[in-house]
Amino acid sequence: MALKYNDIKPLLRSERHSSKWVGIIGLTIGLVLLLLAVQMFTNIQSLLREEAPKQSRGFDYLSVSKSITNDNMGKDNSFTPNDLALLNQEHKITQVAPVYSNQFRAMATAGDVLPFSTDLFLESVNSAFLDTLPTNFDWHPGQSEVPIIFSSDFLEMYNVFAPSQGLPQVSAKTISSINIFLQCSGVRGTQNFKASIVGLSDRINSILVPENFLKWGNTQLAGDTSARISRIIIKVKDANDPKLLHFLDENNYHINKDKVRFGRIKGVLQSTVGALGVFGLLVVLLALILFAFYLQLTISNSRDNIHLLLLIGYSPGWLAKSFTFSYFPLYVTITFISLIIVSVIQFMLSTMEFTHTALSPFLSAPAWITVGVLIILILYLNTRMVRKEILKLT
Amino acid sequence: MELTINNVHPQYIADTGHSEIWGRTLSMMSPHHLHVIAPSGSGKTSFIHFVYGVRTDYSGTILIDGKDISKMGFEEKALLRQKRISIIFQDLKLFPGQTALENIEIKRKLSPFHDRDTITRMATQLGIADKLSQKTVTCSYGEQQRIAIIRALMQPFELLLLDEPFSHLDEDNRMKAMELIYEECEKRKAMMLLADLKKLSFLESEKSLRL
Repeated sequence: MALKYNDIKPLLRSERHSSKWVGIIGLTIGLVLLLLAVQMFTNIQSLLREEAPKQSRGFDYLSVSKSITNDNMGKDNSFTPNDLALLNQEHKITQVAPVYSNQFRAMATAGDVLPFSTDLFLESVNSAFLDTLPTNFDWHPGQSEVPIIFSSDFLEMYNVFAPSQGLPQVSAKTISSINIFLQCSGVRGTQNFKASIVGLSDRINSILVPENFLKWGNTQLAGDTSARISRIIIKVKDANDPKLLHFLDENNYHINKDKVRFGRIKGVLQSTVGALGVFGLLVVLLALILFAFYLQLTISNSRDNIHLLLLIGYSPGWLAKSFTFSYFPLYVTITFISLIIVSVIQFMLSTMEFTHTALSPFLSAPAWITVGVLIILILYLNTRMVRKEILKLT
Repeated sequence: MELTINNVHPQYIADTGHSEIWGRTLSMMSPHHLHVIAPSGSGKTSFIHFVYGVRTDYSGTILIDGKDISKMGFEEKALLRQKRISIIFQDLKLFPGQTALENIEIKRKLSPFHDRDTITRMATQLGIADKLSQKTVTCSYGEQQRIAIIRALMQPFELLLLDEPFSHLDEDNRMKAMELIYEECEKRKAMMLLADLKKLSFLESEKSLRL
């Protein structure tokens, strides 16, 4: 038959219950505020992640160029190896890929289907950074066909302006069947290619050709081996991370502000929710101090009985643990009530229109972890404190 | 168990010259019995408390199986009091607000040597069966003494310490209590260290020392 706390419970009682009740109410309010702050923090993350641009497999891809100001206008604003090293060192950036541009002239005509002819800017980037990678997006010297990945934004733009210019609108499917005649010329000569659009990219606003083709053109036609980097694509965990935005601003790198405007809002919201969390934590701490006072008072009121229990062989460790854990059901009840309150709030939030159903109706893992850690911490600290008080009576 | 008392002097008693215990070395082994005789104020209770590890205001050493009791930790002492040493305090140290049965059960459940029915059997043997459900604060001192005796016998022990355990019992009840204590010590092959004002008639054959 195991010894139970209930056997000695009548010997450990406090006459004053007011501090206990104030502690219980305080702990409930504090825990609700703290959980709410943690949950809101997660909600902000998840809401703004939904708004994040060009996201794929948990990463955001941003196109970085150098800010053009009155001071650097007219100068070479391409990226240097130092710029690349600086971007690579920033721990908020997972990966960096330079975008190379054509140093030769590229002119396209679409034959009879689309009666136009235009100079083109061509760019190439590491295939790993493309959101679409058709198997035929490859080129080797001697190949007469050049595959192109076209920006879907450009296609959209074209379709907006095409009717006013008397040009036919084209669908994403049709565009791949258009034969483009590509004339590439530089100081070292001219060469004609057939080109076709093999894919549309949502991520990079450009006309992309395989890296091999651009390298070949720049060296063989333009005689340029310097590999000018016009812009950089960065792979980041969170495009709205205020620290990342600050780093880019500080180094005069330009990104589309529209894509990261949520970063600013996020910063403000996180600060507000952080303040709520700190306030909740303070209330929890105050309630715990009050609760600790109640436990001390109970021990003090029962000191004769505790002294006697120790004298007849009760272990101080067992007494401290049993006494503290006798309040475990109370802590669980408080936590349960707090969880219900915050869960109801979360459910109501998730059904609201402005969240675009991006919010989960359930509490997030960090909220559960906060509750678990807090309960373990309360039990650990109280057991230590109670043991210390009990040992004073030995 | 081996109990060794080695040159022990209470710090607050100046003259211990005639004592057969203070300042001497003596050793006891299970199942020896020792009767310590001394008048009031000569340190009987202190001696019992020293051996039980409650007080450490003495010089010299008290060893339990070679280990100094004054150097034992709280948990180690608790274990010793649960399993190896039991005591009947002079001032009984019962929980006044609890019934006699609750007082005994608090000890029995800690490290049970007997089942619950034994409490009733022992209480009947000592004539307090009808007091078991009564709060100890309402019991006479003699009844409380018998409750404390039963409580001490509920656990396993190798050494039983008794500090004037029969001071408020008449001769008949003393005999009954002593018989019970002897019987329980015999069951456990335990040592007994009894401190009293004078040599008790039924302990004539036991070894006794003056404090």
